Amino acid sequence: MNTIVRASIAGWAATAAVAALSIGAGTAAAAPDYATLPVNPNTVTDSTAYIPVAPTLNPDGQQGVTQLFNHRDGTRGITTKIEVLSSPQGATDKVNAWRDGVGTVVTNPQSTPVQVGADGTWVTGLSQNGSQSVGVLLFTRGNAAVDVQFNGPVADPVPADLATQYGQDQVAALDRQLGS
Amino acid sequence: MRKLATTVGATAMIVGSLLGTPTAGAAQISTPAPAPIPAPTPQRPQVQLLDCYGSTGWMGCGPGWTWRDGWRGFSCYPC
Repeated sequence: MNTIVRASIAGWAATAAVAALSIGAGTAAAAPDYATLPVNPNTVTDSTAYIPVAPTLNPDGQQGVTQLFNHRDGTRGITTKIEVLSSPQGATDKVNAWRDGVGTVVTNPQSTPVQVGADGTWVTGLSQNGSQSVGVLLFTRGNAAVDVQFNGPVADPVPADLATQYGQDQVAALDRQLGS
Repeated sequence: MRKLATTVGATAMIVGSLLGTPTAGAAQISTPAPAPIPAPTPQRPQVQLLDCYGSTGWMGCGPGWTWRDGWRGFSCYPC
Protein backbone atom coordinates (compact mmCIF):
# COMPACT_ATOMS: atom_id res chain seq x y z
CA MET A 1 0.00 0.00 0.00
CA ASN A 2 2.75 2.29 1.02
CA THR A 3 4.52 1.52 -2.24
CA ILE A 4 1.39 2.28 -4.24
CA VAL A 5 0.93 5.66 -2.55
CA ARG A 6 4.56 6.52 -3.09
CA ALA A 7 4.26 5.58 -6.78
CA SER A 8 1.15 7.74 -7.13
CA ILE A 9 2.89 10.71 -5.56
CA ALA A 10 5.86 10.22 -7.83
CA GLY A 11 3.55 10.03 -10.86
CA TRP A 12 1.74 13.20 -9.80
CA ALA A 13 5.03 15.00 -9.31
CA ALA A 14 6.20 14.00 -12.78
CA THR A 15 2.94 15.18 -14.33
CA ALA A 16 3.19 18.46 -12.46
CA ALA A 17 6.75 18.94 -13.67
CA VAL A 18 5.74 18.35 -17.29
CA ALA A 19 2.82 20.74 -16.89
CA ALA A 20 5.13 23.39 -15.44
CA LEU A 21 7.50 23.01 -18.34
CA SER A 22 4.63 23.33 -20.80
CA ILE A 23 3.36 26.46 -19.10
CA GLY A 24 6.87 27.88 -19.08
CA ALA A 25 7.24 27.25 -22.79
CA GLY A 26 3.91 28.94 -23.45
CA THR A 27 4.94 31.99 -21.50
CA ALA A 28 8.20 32.28 -23.45
CA ALA A 29 6.33 32.18 -26.76
CA ALA A 30 3.91 34.88 -25.59
CA ALA A 31 6.68 37.35 -24.73
CA PRO A 32 8.60 38.15 -27.93
CA ASP A 33 11.93 39.88 -27.76
CA TYR A 34 11.01 43.33 -29.00
CA ALA A 35 14.67 44.30 -29.18
CA THR A 36 15.06 42.14 -32.26
CA LEU A 37 11.98 43.50 -34.03
CA PRO A 38 13.50 46.44 -35.94
CA VAL A 39 14.96 45.47 -39.31
CA ASN A 40 18.63 46.29 -39.69
CA PRO A 41 19.00 48.43 -42.86
CA ASN A 42 22.19 46.54 -43.68
CA THR A 43 20.07 43.51 -44.58
CA VAL A 44 17.87 45.62 -46.87
CA THR A 45 20.77 47.35 -48.60
CA ASP A 46 23.09 44.34 -48.57
CA SER A 47 25.76 46.58 -47.11
CA THR A 48 27.60 47.34 -43.89
CA ALA A 49 26.81 51.05 -44.06
CA TYR A 50 24.66 51.23 -40.93
CA ILE A 51 25.78 51.03 -37.33
CA PRO A 52 22.95 50.05 -34.95
CA VAL A 53 22.57 51.89 -31.66
CA ALA A 54 21.31 49.81 -28.74
CA PRO A 55 17.50 49.58 -28.88
CA THR A 56 15.27 51.28 -26.32
CA LEU A 57 12.50 49.04 -25.06
CA ASN A 58 8.97 50.22 -24.40
CA PRO A 59 9.24 53.82 -25.68
CA ASP A 60 6.75 56.30 -24.23
CA GLY A 61 5.68 53.64 -21.73
CA GLN A 62 4.15 51.57 -24.51
CA GLN A 63 5.16 47.98 -25.27
CA GLY A 64 7.55 48.02 -28.18
CA VAL A 65 10.96 49.26 -29.20
CA THR A 66 12.84 52.16 -30.78
CA GLN A 67 16.17 51.73 -32.52
CA LEU A 68 18.47 54.11 -34.39
CA PHE A 69 20.73 53.00 -37.23
CA ASN A 70 23.44 55.56 -38.02
CA HIS A 71 25.09 55.61 -41.43
CA ARG A 72 28.89 55.41 -41.23
CA ASP A 73 29.21 58.63 -43.25
CA GLY A 74 27.63 60.52 -40.35
CA THR A 75 25.17 62.39 -42.55
CA ARG A 76 22.16 60.09 -42.47
CA GLY A 77 20.27 57.77 -40.16
CA ILE A 78 17.18 55.61 -39.86
CA THR A 79 15.05 55.50 -36.68
CA THR A 80 12.55 52.68 -36.35
CA LYS A 81 9.82 52.85 -33.71
CA ILE A 82 7.44 49.94 -33.19
CA GLU A 83 4.65 50.05 -30.63
CA VAL A 84 2.59 46.97 -29.92
CA LEU A 85 -0.96 47.86 -28.99
CA SER A 86 -3.76 45.68 -27.62
CA SER A 87 -5.68 45.59 -30.90
CA PRO A 88 -5.36 46.45 -34.59
CA GLN A 89 -7.69 49.39 -34.01
CA GLY A 90 -5.36 50.64 -31.30
CA ALA A 91 -2.49 50.45 -33.78
CA THR A 92 -4.49 52.37 -36.37
CA ASP A 93 -5.37 55.04 -33.81
CA LYS A 94 -1.69 55.35 -32.91
CA VAL A 95 -0.58 55.75 -36.53
CA ASN A 96 -3.32 58.32 -37.12
CA ALA A 97 -2.04 60.28 -34.13
CA TRP A 98 1.53 60.14 -35.46
CA ARG A 99 0.31 61.26 -38.89
CA ASP A 100 -1.53 64.20 -37.35
CA GLY A 101 1.62 65.21 -35.51
CA VAL A 102 4.08 64.74 -38.35
CA GLY A 103 4.13 68.49 -38.89
CA THR A 104 6.19 68.84 -35.74
CA VAL A 105 8.93 66.78 -37.40
CA VAL A 106 8.62 67.73 -41.08
CA THR A 107 8.07 71.19 -42.51
CA ASN A 108 5.84 71.41 -45.56
CA PRO A 109 5.10 67.68 -45.44
CA GLN A 110 4.11 65.99 -48.70
CA SER A 111 2.13 62.83 -48.03
CA THR A 112 1.33 59.90 -50.32
CA PRO A 113 -0.12 56.44 -49.71
CA VAL A 114 2.32 53.55 -49.99
CA GLN A 115 1.86 49.78 -50.28
CA VAL A 116 3.34 48.85 -46.91
CA GLY A 117 1.30 46.99 -44.27
CA ALA A 118 -2.04 48.69 -43.63
CA ASP A 119 -2.61 52.45 -43.63
CA GLY A 120 0.81 52.88 -45.26
CA THR A 121 1.77 56.54 -45.64
CA TRP A 122 4.97 58.11 -46.96
CA VAL A 123 5.69 61.68 -45.84
CA THR A 124 8.61 63.77 -47.10
CA GLY A 125 9.95 67.23 -46.39
CA LEU A 126 12.66 69.03 -44.51
CA SER A 127 13.51 69.11 -40.84
CA GLN A 128 12.23 71.99 -38.77
CA ASN A 129 15.49 73.94 -39.11
CA GLY A 130 15.78 73.08 -42.80
CA SER A 131 19.17 71.44 -42.41
CA GLN A 132 18.11 67.88 -43.28
CA SER A 133 15.82 65.97 -45.56
CA VAL A 134 13.24 63.88 -43.70
CA GLY A 135 11.15 60.95 -44.86
CA VAL A 136 8.62 59.32 -42.54
CA LEU A 137 7.05 55.93 -43.24
CA LEU A 138 3.95 55.11 -41.18
CA PHE A 139 1.98 51.88 -41.23
CA THR A 140 0.33 49.22 -39.10
CA ARG A 141 0.62 45.46 -39.12
CA GLY A 142 -1.80 43.64 -36.84
CA ASN A 143 -1.43 45.17 -33.39
CA ALA A 144 1.82 46.92 -34.28
CA ALA A 145 2.12 50.59 -35.16
CA VAL A 146 5.34 51.45 -37.00
CA ASP A 147 7.07 54.80 -37.56
CA VAL A 148 10.31 54.79 -39.56
CA GLN A 149 12.12 58.10 -39.95
CA PHE A 150 14.88 58.66 -42.52
CA ASN A 151 17.10 61.71 -41.94
CA GLY A 152 19.69 62.71 -44.51
CA PRO A 153 21.31 65.55 -46.45
CA VAL A 154 18.97 68.09 -48.03
CA ALA A 155 20.40 67.35 -51.48
CA ASP A 156 20.22 63.59 -51.01
CA PRO A 157 16.88 62.53 -49.51
CA VAL A 158 16.20 58.84 -49.05
CA PRO A 159 14.85 57.21 -52.23
CA ALA A 160 11.18 56.29 -51.84
CA ASP A 161 11.80 52.81 -53.20
CA LEU A 162 14.35 52.12 -50.48
CA ALA A 163 11.93 53.31 -47.79
CA THR A 164 9.21 51.09 -49.25
CA GLN A 165 11.53 48.11 -49.40
CA TYR A 166 12.56 48.69 -45.80
CA GLY A 167 8.90 48.89 -44.73
CA GLN A 168 8.00 45.67 -46.51
CA ASP A 169 10.89 43.87 -44.86
CA GLN A 170 9.71 45.25 -41.52
CA VAL A 171 6.23 43.86 -42.17
CA ALA A 172 7.75 40.43 -42.85
CA ALA A 173 9.76 40.64 -39.62
CA LEU A 174 6.62 41.51 -37.63
CA ASP A 175 4.81 38.57 -39.19
CA ARG A 176 7.64 36.23 -38.25
CA GLN A 177 8.08 37.43 -34.68
CA LEU A 178 4.64 38.59 -33.62
CA GLY A 179 2.55 36.41 -35.90
CA SER A 180 0.57 39.49 -36.85
CA MET B 1 53.94 132.96 -119.63
CA ARG B 2 56.01 130.08 -118.32
CA LYS B 3 54.40 130.46 -114.94
CA LEU B 4 50.96 130.27 -116.48
CA ALA B 5 51.90 127.14 -118.39
CA THR B 6 53.15 125.49 -115.19
CA THR B 7 49.93 126.35 -113.35
CA VAL B 8 47.76 125.03 -116.15
CA GLY B 9 49.79 121.86 -116.32
CA ALA B 10 49.57 121.20 -112.61
CA THR B 11 45.85 121.87 -112.63
CA ALA B 12 45.38 119.48 -115.51
CA MET B 13 47.25 116.76 -113.67
CA ILE B 14 45.10 117.18 -110.58
CA VAL B 15 41.84 117.28 -112.50
CA GLY B 16 42.92 114.26 -114.49
CA SER B 17 43.58 112.22 -111.44
CA LEU B 18 40.21 113.19 -109.99
CA LEU B 19 38.39 112.28 -113.19
CA GLY B 20 40.05 108.86 -113.24
CA THR B 21 38.82 107.81 -109.85
CA PRO B 22 35.07 107.61 -110.56
CA THR B 23 35.84 105.89 -113.80
CA ALA B 24 37.65 103.08 -111.96
CA GLY B 25 34.82 102.83 -109.46
CA ALA B 26 32.27 102.59 -112.23
CA ALA B 27 34.17 99.70 -113.69
CA GLN B 28 33.92 97.79 -110.44
CA ILE B 29 30.19 98.38 -110.13
CA SER B 30 29.52 97.15 -113.61
CA THR B 31 30.90 93.69 -112.79
CA PRO B 32 29.54 92.78 -109.32
CA ALA B 33 31.47 90.29 -107.28
CA PRO B 34 29.75 86.96 -106.63
CA ALA B 35 27.83 86.68 -103.35
CA PRO B 36 30.00 85.29 -100.58
CA ILE B 37 29.37 81.63 -99.78
CA PRO B 38 28.28 81.30 -96.15
CA ALA B 39 30.70 79.38 -94.05
CA PRO B 40 29.34 75.96 -93.00
CA THR B 41 27.96 75.87 -89.46
CA PRO B 42 30.07 73.55 -87.35
CA GLN B 43 28.13 70.52 -86.10
CA ARG B 44 27.40 70.41 -82.41
CA PRO B 45 29.77 68.05 -80.68
CA GLN B 46 28.23 64.73 -79.72
CA VAL B 47 28.71 64.25 -76.00
CA GLN B 48 28.24 60.89 -74.35
CA LEU B 49 28.39 60.92 -70.57
CA LEU B 50 30.46 58.10 -69.21
CA ASP B 51 30.30 59.02 -65.56
CA CYS B 52 29.99 62.17 -63.50
CA TYR B 53 33.69 62.96 -63.97
CA GLY B 54 34.01 62.31 -67.68
CA SER B 55 36.10 59.20 -67.29
CA THR B 56 35.15 55.73 -68.41
CA GLY B 57 33.30 55.07 -65.20
CA TRP B 58 34.51 53.72 -61.92
CA MET B 59 33.43 50.34 -60.54
CA GLY B 60 31.42 49.71 -63.67
CA CYS B 61 28.95 52.55 -63.12
CA GLY B 62 27.26 53.45 -66.40
CA PRO B 63 26.72 56.81 -68.07
CA GLY B 64 25.22 59.35 -65.72
CA TRP B 65 26.07 57.35 -62.61
CA THR B 66 28.78 57.59 -60.01
CA TRP B 67 30.20 55.36 -57.30
CA ARG B 68 29.84 56.68 -53.77
CA ASP B 69 28.70 55.85 -50.24
CA GLY B 70 24.99 56.63 -49.94
CA TRP B 71 21.68 55.33 -48.66
CA ARG B 72 22.44 51.86 -50.02
CA GLY B 73 26.08 51.91 -48.91
CA PHE B 74 28.77 51.91 -51.59
CA SER B 75 26.95 51.69 -54.88
CA CYS B 76 26.31 53.40 -58.22
CA TYR B 77 24.13 56.50 -57.77
CA PRO B 78 22.77 58.98 -60.33
CA CYS B 79 24.97 62.05 -60.84
